[in-house]
Amino acid sequence: MKTIFHSFLYCCLLASVAHCVELEVNPELKKRLSIWLGSRLRRELESIAVEKTSESENFVRPEDIRDTLLPHTSTDVNIRTKRSKGCALGTCAVHDLAHRIQQLNHNRLKTGAPADKMSPQGYGRRRRSVPERRVSLRMEKGRLRPMWRLNDSQVHKLEALLRRT
Amino acid sequence: MVTLVLLCNLKTFLVRASMEVNESQQQHPNNVYHDIGITRNKIVTAQFECYQKIMKDNTDGRQEPMCNRTWDGWLCWDDTQAGITSEQHCPDYFQDFDPSEMVTKICTESGHWFVHPESNRTWTNYTRCNEHTNEGIVTAMNHFYLTLIGHGLSLVSLFISLAIFFHFKSLSCQRITLHKNLFFSFVLNSVITIIWLTAVANNRELVQRNPISCKVSQFIHLYLFGCNYFWMLCEGIYLHTLIVVAVFAEKQHLMWYYLLGWGFPLIPASIHAIARSYYYNDNCWISSKTSLLYIIHGPICAALLVNLFFLLNIVRVLITKLKVTHQAESSLYMKAVRATLILVPLLGIEFVLLPYKPDGRVSSEIYDYIMHILMHYQGLLVATIFCFFNGEVQAVLRRHWNQHHIQFGSSIGNHSDALRSASYTASSIIEVQGCYTIDGHTEHMNGKGFHDTDMSILKSDSTFA
Repeated sequence: MKTIFHSFLYCCLLASVAHCVELEVNPELKKRLSIWLGSRLRRELESIAVEKTSESENFVRPEDIRDTLLPHTSTDVNIRTKRSKGCALGTCAVHDLAHRIQQLNHNRLKTGAPADKMSPQGYGRRRRSVPERRVSLRMEKGRLRPMWRLNDSQVHKLEALLRRT
Repeated sequence: MVTLVLLCNLKTFLVRASMEVNESQQQHPNNVYHDIGITRNKIVTAQFECYQKIMKDNTDGRQEPMCNRTWDGWLCWDDTQAGITSEQHCPDYFQDFDPSEMVTKICTESGHWFVHPESNRTWTNYTRCNEHTNEGIVTAMNHFYLTLIGHGLSLVSLFISLAIFFHFKSLSCQRITLHKNLFFSFVLNSVITIIWLTAVANNRELVQRNPISCKVSQFIHLYLFGCNYFWMLCEGIYLHTLIVVAVFAEKQHLMWYYLLGWGFPLIPASIHAIARSYYYNDNCWISSKTSLLYIIHGPICAALLVNLFFLLNIVRVLITKLKVTHQAESSLYMKAVRATLILVPLLGIEFVLLPYKPDGRVSSEIYDYIMHILMHYQGLLVATIFCFFNGEVQAVLRRHWNQHHIQFGSSIGNHSDALRSASYTASSIIEVQGCYTIDGHTEHMNGKGFHDTDMSILKSDSTFA
């Protein structure tokens, strides 16, 4: 029994030493580790930035523009939900509880979802299609003339969209 | 397109600037009435994104009927094949929306979005978003009260146990010293948890003011939380050394236990504090949505795993020793099961057996209840098993009570001397046996024959306590 226990301890020691040596010897691994750590921390930082900007009055945040919102197909959203989950170990329950209590207190003054918008009368208007052509006015020989133009410019599309919805 | 890019750049710049301003103004309490504005901004942002996306992707080259991509007023929906129900997570616009729930939008067989029969309008099903919100609030409050009651009961029982351990000097030996330290860590952990939950987490104003003291209290909370589990590890190491390794027949050096129990948890707590202040410096460090918490809980998990190994080893040794004495199978297993059940709360094994929170709503809720009960009532359980149900403690208490009673009684004069002396000798014998059984039986295990070892091991399931 004694020997088994000792061998187990030695194995642990050996494993940890080997791991350290490997890290020292292999700079590439070290680099990769630091890059991974960096990216992880940056992601966490971004999530803080989101929290901060959400409190400011800006309509469009940088990460919104970068994102192409593909809710149920893109992996980005999956990563995001996974990341925001935090500590999932059983012993973290007490922190979760503190966080939830704090959120409940924080949200007490926030508005609830308007019931009428969730009712059958509410959300889910169908977007009308973007017209292929649009009328534009053009100066021709000193006279204003209406003209049908193909609507291919993205900005015009956006304008049309915003006007119609 | 160029204007769009310019617009984006401008916005990025503005956002950066405002972030800095925001940071410098962080000390001021935020105006809570901005929340409605935030909701509106979020919706407008989502709408903007949605239109960008609708414009960017091309719709050509499709044969089968599809529902067109659309903005429904709250969320953006991609092109969906006919007959498929599109799903995405609820938005976080409103306080009663649960972002882990799903919103559904049905694309009918004909390639049109579902039209609600009542209103004849295209309709997205958002009703699941706030269906369980009230239940969630009730659950959180239940957990809150459950936790407070658990820690209150634990504190009472732990104080009584500590008083017993300190008052009766005859009880003191290494094992009891370790128990005292474990109980003390339980007490401190309970106190700081109650303070943290009631005075910090439940105090919106304090969290918004974000003073340095609440971060310090979070640091202390995490440190004492770690101490608690590392004292469980100490108990595990001590028992394992005593029963299985038995290399140190003489008294073990308690200094290392103190260092591990009170000293080591400072390291993860400090690393967490430093990392938190650099990378996730939220108000009062109260958020649990960061993986930095693994700095605290990783070592705890490792300690509990080691304890699991110790427990298995102890039970294995117990069973082999019991088998040698040719006992009836049933009583053998009963003894082994009893020893295991006694040791599980002492060593915190229950947290290793249920390590991860499940994903489903109902299952995670059940898991939360179990976890909270196990975690916050552990002090009560440990105090009960290792002090109130402890044979030695009961014997000492009985002797003390009898002495008291006899003194009181003899003054009135209705107790015989014989009874008094008999009870006194009996209980003092038990007491002498009590504390030295373990030290005695390790001696046996080390040197002498098998029979002695078995006999002492037979006693050992009572000597854990």
